[in-house]
Amino acid sequence: MPRFTRWQGIALCVAALVSTVWLAVTNQLILYIHPRYIVFTVIMAALGLVLVVASFRQAAAHTNEPANEHEREREHEHELEHEQPSSGRLRRGITVIGSMLTLVMAVALVVVPPTTLTTATAEQRVINSTQVGPGTRTVDSAASAPAGAYARFTVLDWSSLLRQTTDVGFYREKEANVVGFITRDKDDPKNVFYVSRFVITCCAVDAQPVGVPVYLPNWQDRFAADQWVKVSGSFETNPSTQSQQSIALVPTSTTKVDQPSEPYLY
Amino acid sequence: MGIRVAERERRAIRMPTIVGLSVGLVGIVGVFLVRALTPALGPWSLPNRVQDLLTLSISVIIESLPFVVLGILLSILVQVWVPDRWIMRILPRNAFLRRVTISFLGVFLPVCECGNVPLARGLMVKGFTVSESMTFLLAAPIINPITILTTGQAFGFDSWVFAARLVGGFVIANLIGWLYAKHPDQDSLLTDRFAAECRLPDPHEHDQTRWQKSVELFTRESAVIMPALFIGSLIAGLVQVAVPRSVLLSLGSNPLWSILAMMALAFVISVCSNVDSFFILPFASTFMPGSIAVFLLFGPIIDIKMLTLMRTTFRAKVLVQLTVIVGLLSALIGLVVNYLA
Repeated sequence: MPRFTRWQGIALCVAALVSTVWLAVTNQLILYIHPRYIVFTVIMAALGLVLVVASFRQAAAHTNEPANEHEREREHEHELEHEQPSSGRLRRGITVIGSMLTLVMAVALVVVPPTTLTTATAEQRVINSTQVGPGTRTVDSAASAPAGAYARFTVLDWSSLLRQTTDVGFYREKEANVVGFITRDKDDPKNVFYVSRFVITCCAVDAQPVGVPVYLPNWQDRFAADQWVKVSGSFETNPSTQSQQSIALVPTSTTKVDQPSEPYLY
Repeated sequence: MGIRVAERERRAIRMPTIVGLSVGLVGIVGVFLVRALTPALGPWSLPNRVQDLLTLSISVIIESLPFVVLGILLSILVQVWVPDRWIMRILPRNAFLRRVTISFLGVFLPVCECGNVPLARGLMVKGFTVSESMTFLLAAPIINPITILTTGQAFGFDSWVFAARLVGGFVIANLIGWLYAKHPDQDSLLTDRFAAECRLPDPHEHDQTRWQKSVELFTRESAVIMPALFIGSLIAGLVQVAVPRSVLLSLGSNPLWSILAMMALAFVISVCSNVDSFFILPFASTFMPGSIAVFLLFGPIIDIKMLTLMRTTFRAKVLVQLTVIVGLLSALIGLVVNYLA
């Protein structure tokens, strides 16, 4: 195996495994994967790191050895593979581009601060586009909940209920108190925004945006998209004439808050 | 005199070992420090799309990494620690029955699809034919206890989707195995480098301990799989940022278009077979059941990440053929389910 390839593999393992361990130590692995996979991921990362250290030891010993007959044969075959007149240059080009992309990802893993997904993905994936999944709040369970329970309902709970019933009577005397980031409503961006969260089943790749429409005229004077806010208020018929949402949360208070330590919902 | 020479040689061997270990440990600590210090340098304020591209790509890497490590470990177990005769002895001689048995190997080696690539490579080095390892590669992500359990939990053990996934996965894997078994030159399906690896014995095979062989295999497999995983994740992230989900969602209720939309979604999302049922469940009321079955059949076998990983082993032409055949077969199964359910 060419030495560059050997060391590249080890270096990529170091980048990915060390980042995983650091994310786990700083409790940020949940920005990328569901909490139920954390223990498995950390165990595998630790095993991987042990093998990486052993690889360093062996690779260094290997680098010092003169290439033997078999290796020369392998490298010769490899060279032949690359010396095909028709595709040699193209392959070399692809290899270089591949190495560059790999390097970009490795640097991103090690250097870029981890964050949650933003409004760009929320808008691209369309808020509340999926149906209500199992385990989410149903109208029956919400109707029988004790009065104090509504304050603890999350964005996912309310967005599930809003997709099940648009009867304003159902929401009467049910005060909401939710935390999420702001995503603008496409139809009435001036007066309506979604207080939104991502719901993940496995990892950030499958994140689905859910949101509760909030009617707050000229909200952009006080807040920006992506800002995390806490919104308290009650649900009413949406006063906005442009928004397609028939019911909206009309806030009694909207305050800026820090991003919660667990920004995704499950 | 002779003793001194031997001592010098021993030192010469020990030196790179110590240097290697030190470099390794210093490198790991160094990367850890860089990782720990960079967030303090302040917000990077990358544009949202770029930030999300990185988050999505890194998420694919971190989600796949433990399965890749597990896959490589199982591959090492099969290649170095399990005697040759064991695996070959339990398999029937008849080619058809052999492939049928191989399609159930995933029950004992429950690694999702990304971990199956190094494992399938290991099985080929160990003596599996290319078509047999393909059968394993395609069947194991679906016919394994974790996938069976999660699919059953999500859709019900008596649902059409559950039955279509299990039976469909088994049929597709065996049909593909049978088709490629007809190929007169199996080695020509493999990349030159991997074919050479299968043909030539390990140069250090005789003078290495089993532990050394295991570490050597880990180095070799990670050199092949890791770049593919990184590139595959980046492409998967790019496509996810670029293709609006609304395009796919608008096709949900048409029997044919919903199938194609679900194939496209499975191709793009590149999520592991162990968990894809829970991901797709919320789409079940928008999309027809056949198209959900297609997502669960096509996704574990063909997606951006898997194609990049499989490219380490198979020629591009073979991957195009695989994509077309698996696409057609799963679409056919999806149409049948749409008709029956």
